[in-house]
Amino acid sequence: MRVCGLHKSFGPQAVLMGVDLEIPSGSFTAILGPSGSGKTTLLRVLAGLERADRGTVAIGSTVVDDDREHVPAERRRLGYVSQEGSLFPHLTVEANVGFGLPRGERRGGRVGELLETVGLSGLARRYPHELSGGQQQRVAVARALAVRPQAVLLDEPFASLDAQLRASVRSDVRDILLAAGTTAVLVTHDQDEALSIADFVAVIRNGRIAQFAEPAELYARPVDADLARFVGAANLLEGRQEGGVVETPLGPAAAGGASGPVTVLVRPEQLEIARLDPAGSDAGRVAGRVVSTSYHGHDCLVYVRPEGAAGDLTGAVVARTLGDPHLAEGSAVTLRINGPVLTWAPASGPAPAPAAEAAEEPA
Amino acid sequence: MSRVPGAALVTGRFHRRSRPRVLLATSCLVAAALLTPLAFLLIEAHGAGTGAVVRLIFRSLTASLLWNTVRLTIVVTALCAVIGTLAAWCVECTDLPLRRMWAVLVVVPFAIPDFVVSFGWASLTTWIQGFRGAVVVMTLAVYPLVYLPVAASLRSADPGQEEVARSLGAGRLKTFFRVTIGQARGAILGGCLLVSLVILAEYGAFEIVGYQTFTTEIFTEFDSFNVQAAAALSLVLVVLGVIVLVGDGWARGNTRVARSGALAQRARKTHRLGRAKAGVLLGFLLLVGLALGVPVGSSIYWMLEGGAHAFAGVSLLDAAGDTAAYSASAAAVATLMALPVSLLVTRHPTRFGRLLERSTFLVLAMPGIVIAFALSYFSLRYGGGSFYQTAPLLIAAYAIMFFPLALVGVRASVAYAPVALEEAGRSLGQRRLAVLRRVTLPLVGPGLMAAFCLVFLATATELTATLILIPDNVQTLATQFWAYQTALSYGQAAPFALVMIGIAAVPSYVLGRFFDRRPSQRAVAR
Repeated sequence: MRVCGLHKSFGPQAVLMGVDLEIPSGSFTAILGPSGSGKTTLLRVLAGLERADRGTVAIGSTVVDDDREHVPAERRRLGYVSQEGSLFPHLTVEANVGFGLPRGERRGGRVGELLETVGLSGLARRYPHELSGGQQQRVAVARALAVRPQAVLLDEPFASLDAQLRASVRSDVRDILLAAGTTAVLVTHDQDEALSIADFVAVIRNGRIAQFAEPAELYARPVDADLARFVGAANLLEGRQEGGVVETPLGPAAAGGASGPVTVLVRPEQLEIARLDPAGSDAGRVAGRVVSTSYHGHDCLVYVRPEGAAGDLTGAVVARTLGDPHLAEGSAVTLRINGPVLTWAPASGPAPAPAAEAAEEPA
Repeated sequence: MSRVPGAALVTGRFHRRSRPRVLLATSCLVAAALLTPLAFLLIEAHGAGTGAVVRLIFRSLTASLLWNTVRLTIVVTALCAVIGTLAAWCVECTDLPLRRMWAVLVVVPFAIPDFVVSFGWASLTTWIQGFRGAVVVMTLAVYPLVYLPVAASLRSADPGQEEVARSLGAGRLKTFFRVTIGQARGAILGGCLLVSLVILAEYGAFEIVGYQTFTTEIFTEFDSFNVQAAAALSLVLVVLGVIVLVGDGWARGNTRVARSGALAQRARKTHRLGRAKAGVLLGFLLLVGLALGVPVGSSIYWMLEGGAHAFAGVSLLDAAGDTAAYSASAAAVATLMALPVSLLVTRHPTRFGRLLERSTFLVLAMPGIVIAFALSYFSLRYGGGSFYQTAPLLIAAYAIMFFPLALVGVRASVAYAPVALEEAGRSLGQRRLAVLRRVTLPLVGPGLMAAFCLVFLATATELTATLILIPDNVQTLATQFWAYQTALSYGQAAPFALVMIGIAAVPSYVLGRFFDRRPSQRAVAR
């Protein structure tokens, strides 16, 4: 699926302002953006439910939307799953799943298979209102898959589920889609969801694609500071680049790029935290005091206010530890940046990190 | 397109679509057709000259008519609100025994024409006269107008809110008044609006109990060819109608019924009546007895009293056939007219669309006689009289008069089929026509049927406009009944009353079923 220079506005309000995006066939791509960023509109244009003002949309080699032509939703063979699921309330689960099939196939084989795939075989005769939210979403996915679509478009399908259910339905749906080998496009505002479920993430911001990358790439090498903060916790420090090393208030770190002042991205897990050693063997480490901790079971975020030389830093920095670090508020600790970091020269893109390959650019 | 307040937060969720030109155009046409009577009034009043109109309006007669009309409207509306809401709550939300039966019986009085209720009571006792008589008769005849919407809204309301209220420490009564009634507030007000407007337009019932309102006076003036005086009084009546409309809009304010957690749909918990059960049952028995039993019983009594010679079988059959044909045609036309307006209002919410919708409700504030005369006037002046007293003109008059009823049903049904479902259907590879057949119609169909029945019921028992527009050699049940009733031939009038009740009872049973249907069908209505 390929989108070029897409524009769309509703009345005076411009929503999409030149979206370029290529979604690899067979991949699971997430479109990530805050609410109001235009991600749902983009999905609806893809689905053929809205027509673009300018730009082209192509599926495979077929142009489905440009200045001259608009292929309607029903001829695009794209399964669309909305946030509410939009099950037909007057039809049973079975009839919902079979809705898009030719008359002869609506009962039996294919429908039963799909219901089995989504684990709802026993509920074929139920009506939508007799299902839980997660079940409704799985029926919606089965219904979309029934017509063997070229791709499945998911519009925040998990947003209305509670956290625990969301995680399990999310991975169920991913497995179902993987097994079907279908291209999938998921719209979400939840970065955690996007990073964990997708092969590629397209971040949409102010009506444009800000970055398209694999989740790890996006997290490690966001194109700017705003994006870095949007896809996860980030310490953004002012530093000075000199050769292969950047000098930061938290000490030196390896980084590539031209010499001069830079902004430095240090992810919490790149910040190594240790108790202050009374013996004083803390050479090269920055001292600080724990401000607060936020414990999550599998990991812990420790907020530290640096002291001494780095004391001119405004606010606390955050470090991540595995498990419980047993650090009380006010504990004296030392910090050190671990590994190469990403830097941006002021008002320009990221400098290449020393150990990283060239960034994979979307076509 | 102006933006409605609720759409101020335009995010990805709210999608404004392209301007619906066809819908807008047809809706405007419909509104124009509906407002012809008003145009007639204004032209007529203008022809009379301002001075003459002012003189006609500021008479002592106007003041007494105003007093009569306003006090009756207020008292009956209040009574209907209480009776209709309580009955709906008991049927929908409690463990009332035989609730399915009550759900039907309570609606049936709607099928009985107001003037038959009036006839039933007034022919039995002289106590039913004047103001007192008008209050009793009208309350019993029109409370279903509150019951029906309230019952529907209680059924689709979010049960979670009641539970939350209880958990916040509100007692049963407090929960009932602040949450349950709050949820149904829009429906109650909507019902009250209809009741008020019906009372403003009623003629036959008041004529029988000898109570003078604007509408009866207008009929008298028209009858004596005093068209200008009638037009002037009609203007005042329209102003009253507008006041009711504005008051309704003001009372609704910005209340919105939001439903959260759309995915999990649960059924409402029924309240136990406990010791009150016997009392409530007695109340229902009394209500149905007074509203249904008395008119029916009285008609049967008079028919038996009249003996066999009074029974004109052939004319009864003819009249019943004609009535059914007129009513079915009018119901079809009105339902079709309501479709574009409903679609415009629910799918493309704009201030203009809402104004358009509201303007059509003005029709209810106009007595049938004004609409009838407006159409006669137009056909005589611009059609060379070729349509005067023909079936098409009569059907057009019915369709205009009862358009607001059709709109209520059609709007509700259109809301059952949100655009999202049609989009889901299309994304599954179904063409628009197939989506219409397989998604939209099954969801909307029952509501359209209900709208059709509402109009059918109202038309089958319409008297005032029919008296004026009926083709020469034809009689409907209502006009034949009226002729006998006026001549005090109660024995001959009674069979017509009974057949009218019968013709209307079938649709009202269908109506009851519609409002009682499976929750799955309104699961997504929001």
